[in-house]
Amino acid sequence: MSGLQVQLRSSSPIRLAAEFDCGAGELVALVGPSGSGKTSMLRAIAGLWTPPDLQGHIRVAGQDWLNTAAGVLRTPQERRAGLVFQHYALFPHMTAQANVALAAGPDWSAADVQALLSRLGLAALAGRRPAQLSGGQQQRVALARALVRVMPGPQAVASQALAGVLLLDEPFSAVDAPTRQTLYRELAALRQKVPVPMVLVTHDLAEARRLADRVVIVDAGQTLQTGEPARVFASPRNARVAELVGIQNHFAGRFFKDRPGWGRLCWAGSGPSDAGIALSVVDKNKIDNDTRVTWVLNGEQVDVLADGAALDVAEAGATRLRCRLAEVLPLGEISLCTLVPQGLPDQRITLNLTTRVLDRLQVSAGAWVQLLIAPGALHIMPVREVNG
Amino acid sequence: MDWSAVNVSLILAAWTTLALLPLGLTLARWLAVTRWVGRPFIEALLLLPLLLPPTVIGFYFLVAFGQGSSLGAWLAQSLGWRLVFTMEGLLLVSVLVNLPFMVQPIQRAFAAVPHSLREAAWVSGLSGWQTFWRIELPLAWPGLLAGMALTVAHTLGEFGVVLMVGGNIAGETRTLSVSLYDKVQGMELQSAHVMALALVGVSLLALTLVLAFDRVGQRGRALQER
Repeated sequence: MSGLQVQLRSSSPIRLAAEFDCGAGELVALVGPSGSGKTSMLRAIAGLWTPPDLQGHIRVAGQDWLNTAAGVLRTPQERRAGLVFQHYALFPHMTAQANVALAAGPDWSAADVQALLSRLGLAALAGRRPAQLSGGQQQRVALARALVRVMPGPQAVASQALAGVLLLDEPFSAVDAPTRQTLYRELAALRQKVPVPMVLVTHDLAEARRLADRVVIVDAGQTLQTGEPARVFASPRNARVAELVGIQNHFAGRFFKDRPGWGRLCWAGSGPSDAGIALSVVDKNKIDNDTRVTWVLNGEQVDVLADGAALDVAEAGATRLRCRLAEVLPLGEISLCTLVPQGLPDQRITLNLTTRVLDRLQVSAGAWVQLLIAPGALHIMPVREVNG
Repeated sequence: MDWSAVNVSLILAAWTTLALLPLGLTLARWLAVTRWVGRPFIEALLLLPLLLPPTVIGFYFLVAFGQGSSLGAWLAQSLGWRLVFTMEGLLLVSVLVNLPFMVQPIQRAFAAVPHSLREAAWVSGLSGWQTFWRIELPLAWPGLLAGMALTVAHTLGEFGVVLMVGGNIAGETRTLSVSLYDKVQGMELQSAHVMALALVGVSLLALTLVLAFDRVGQRGRALQER
């Protein structure tokens, strides 16, 4: 079994219920708000955080780093975890070269360390102390120090396998935007060369989406959902995940079964006199008839048409929704548009429309438009009754 | 100038500092990182010599180790150790009263080493001992120098405890400060002036060094936090 498997449970000092894995060469991002426990999970993998009541296992390349059932607990020194700390934690009294050499095993000669530093663009800076380096340079030294822990050195026996994990704790939060772009590229290049599991902790959704093969959404010490970024962002498992991944258009409603394969989503406003709107949805047989649901509208799959425009070809099951354009906020190429559906005066749909679309429609705030909502644009989740 | 007193004072200061360094270092490192609930009590105990009159310490020392005490009698009979009115006794009490001067600066220096550096050392494969020798000690050395300078200066200036425990034996336990007292009593003001000035000079030098080391330490910390 290659890669990293994590399954952890504890109840104090913080509640933790984590379960995820990361294949060799894969980059998994733990994403969640501050204080959600994602850094604790990373520290648990490194062996720096082991609460007394911790239960579960951490397995790397088939070896137990932690297995409470079998009584296995390796010290941080016995694990091969390359950890890049949020503020790098470089040893201030040592040169960049010495910082890296300190972590390198006997299969790394001084020349090998120097060669690694050169590969990371630090050749001329190897003799400098951390205080004489910029944030991005310090980050690269920290990365080099982590890498020598997980990579067998050039002097290693050929059969020696990669048995480490690379752990990155918000490594890009303390550098400026241009440096961050450079470091993103370097990380992508690094992944080609170092096929170990890589776990990245971040609160930045865009960063996770851009860098990770899979994301793990973490909240209140729990791993809520794991999957490819595009999938998790398009189909959040529940309302909390939808909120955490920053989906704007999520609403309450009720799901009814309709003809085979199809369902009906009743979108009711909060006012008692509101008639409500029925939207056609695909019935995946995952939700019972007459169930309270949270649903998400993916704005990228919504077409905007002029009011009264006839449809040439209506997509099967698409719902037409007449809306008033309540507000248009131009933001460069894109305008942030707020729409109020007819019959539901207290509901708001937010869409990012390009200036081109708005020009074509020749509409401004106050005008009426039609939305053509394909069934695929709707994602329905049963209301989650836990976590409180 | 009473050169034999200078000699006694210097020997006492050197031995006190040497004996106190390993003890103070151990205590200070432990206090800097321990989360034990009893820590404030230990810290208070170590600071006690700063508040107590030297006569109180001297009195209890005589009670504990004097010929009248069973411990003192036993030490004298079985080991041949006499601690009252001897250099050995003076050294022991000097170590005790100098504990806060040695421990405090070192403890502060160790506490200022960010915990993330220890963790970075552990995940880099360094054992606890290696982390101490290669990471913590090189970062805390200004605190060690400050503690040593303070101990030397304070030992040279100590008076009350020395008089009570060591007495006033020329060439044996008569230190610079005790000799100065003698000279003033004997109206030898010229000699008194010289010795007083020497003590002022040494103390000023020691304090300057302490503050300079403190600045070095602060600069180190500022660089770590950048």
